[in-house]
Amino acid sequence: MSVEHLLEIRNLKTYFDVRGGVLKAVDDVSFTIEAEETLGLVGESGCGKTVTANSIMRLIPIPPGRIAGGEILFEGTDILKRSASGMRKVRGNKISMIFQEPMTSLNPVFTVGDQVAEVIQLHEKLSQREIRDRVIEAFRLVRIPAPESRIKEYPHQMSGGMRQRVIIAMALACHPKLMIADEPSTALDVTIQAQILDLMNRLKEETGASILFITHDLGVIAEMAQRVAVMYAGKIMEGADVDTLFSEPKHPYTIGLMSSIPILGIGKKEKRLSTIPGVVPSLFKLPQGCLFHERCSVAYTECGQIEPPMIDLGNGHIVRCHKYA
Amino acid sequence: MKVKKNKPKVNLWARVTNPEDRHPFFDQIEKLFENKTGVAGLIIIALFALTAILAPAISPHDPDENSLYDQLKPPVWNEGGSTKNLLGTDDLGRDMLSRLIYGARVSLTLGIVSVGIALVCGCILGALAGYYKGWPDNLIMRLMDIILAFPYILLAIVIVAYLGPGLRNAMMAIGIINIPRFARIIRASVIEEYEKDYVTAARAVGASNRRIIFNAIFPNCLAPIIVQASLGFGEAILSGAGLSFLGLGAQPPLSEWGAMIAQGRSMILRAWWVMTYPGIAILLAVLGFNLLGDGLRDALDPRLRD
Repeated sequence: MSVEHLLEIRNLKTYFDVRGGVLKAVDDVSFTIEAEETLGLVGESGCGKTVTANSIMRLIPIPPGRIAGGEILFEGTDILKRSASGMRKVRGNKISMIFQEPMTSLNPVFTVGDQVAEVIQLHEKLSQREIRDRVIEAFRLVRIPAPESRIKEYPHQMSGGMRQRVIIAMALACHPKLMIADEPSTALDVTIQAQILDLMNRLKEETGASILFITHDLGVIAEMAQRVAVMYAGKIMEGADVDTLFSEPKHPYTIGLMSSIPILGIGKKEKRLSTIPGVVPSLFKLPQGCLFHERCSVAYTECGQIEPPMIDLGNGHIVRCHKYA
Repeated sequence: MKVKKNKPKVNLWARVTNPEDRHPFFDQIEKLFENKTGVAGLIIIALFALTAILAPAISPHDPDENSLYDQLKPPVWNEGGSTKNLLGTDDLGRDMLSRLIYGARVSLTLGIVSVGIALVCGCILGALAGYYKGWPDNLIMRLMDIILAFPYILLAIVIVAYLGPGLRNAMMAIGIINIPRFARIIRASVIEEYEKDYVTAARAVGASNRRIIFNAIFPNCLAPIIVQASLGFGEAILSGAGLSFLGLGAQPPLSEWGAMIAQGRSMILRAWWVMTYPGIAILLAVLGFNLLGDGLRDALDPRLRD
């Protein structure tokens, strides 16, 4: 191996065996995350973003789910080959996760301080006093004012933004190498969203952790990520660094997504907001050939027959489309 | 002008009374105290518990002391009654009041032990069934169904007959037959809580299954358990008295309410008090726990809250 990536996913396939067939929630997904980098994973609802994240953490319920193939190399070793107890040592310690719903992701019967302390307790042997200091340090890191008194509060006493900070503090408590943020700002209102995103960017600088940032919001991605992967129906359609992707998107799906971002004042010129026609295909009835061809504005005849391979356009820009073959 | 003082000291009383600052536990305690029947139950149980604890101090006689001269004396307000035996005596001349007071000890112990057995076993089995689902769930819950399929008192009789009569075995039998009630309630709560995000979050920070079940999920299922424990307490006392009445529980000369009723059964026409007072004692104790259980349910169940 020439270059050591922090995380390298190779041909990951996560399937769900359900009544009526096999759901290929994640099908042949590969990407890498380097140290101190934020990779954005964008896509519509149900395209497999969260399943990808849960696969990395091995949080897929088995059954009905199963990882049908592929490798997830974290610091050079395959996570999928770890034992259950070996996996527990990684979770929360080396790789941690930030959840979408700050309202329900904290246990309602414990104080927030206890919940952050539990993470530290699980992974490090420290005295009660040292743990308390670490919790307060984590709270300071996520800019919670007056941490000494706030650690004694219960989740229901805190606002959504504060709870999301606590969740981030939990994720940071053991100084992880990688944080997986699964739509961390979606459930928050816009001003709090901006604060949380700004906080995460600063924390990345301070702690040097890499972030896998999952969202459906392209505007958020532009602010957060260095590289972006666009997912559609369980497959990666396009990957590039953030500037390239936004200045010259190649895949028709990406182009469609970009043009369907509303721009303030668009109505004045009597121009309608453009949309992508059709709906995401059902995972039960995936189309032949390119998964996107039924909704694509530039589809050739071969798009409906042959699945396009991943094409490397150079400079780290990859796209899964026949147009560039 | 008023000078605002800065008091950084933690005011403990405010943690209990101030609605903004207090622990959620006290909110529920307050809800319980607003409930009149719940408070009535609490008072009855408190009296009952005090009687049991202070039995040697407040009982006028030794409960096992026979007296050939005082056999079947009626209560004090009846003709022939005396202040020596306020509630009369039984056929061996033992003081009824003292026996009732000591009987509270037996009933309380019986309640604590049998509910304890049912609670611990039921919670563990129910939590495992609800958490792991699949075959452990099927195995455990079918076993619980089998226990429930037997008539309640019949199964207790079978268990006691197998273990041998005696208060200790009666407590175990009542504990065992109450396991399914707790197991079912816990299983349902665990299944409900399992879907919540904080469980996934706990797994994502590296908590083990055992830790997730007992440290994360279990404290969230406490409300229905507390209610069931309170209701089960009353029922355990009743079944304990039932077993003792049948001669399978407390053995003479131990003063147990059920055994006292059995003993007075043949004399009901001659000496009604030997049987009536233990019956009233059982009634009050069970009523107290049932009232408290209902009050707790109103206070703790989120579905019944406005």
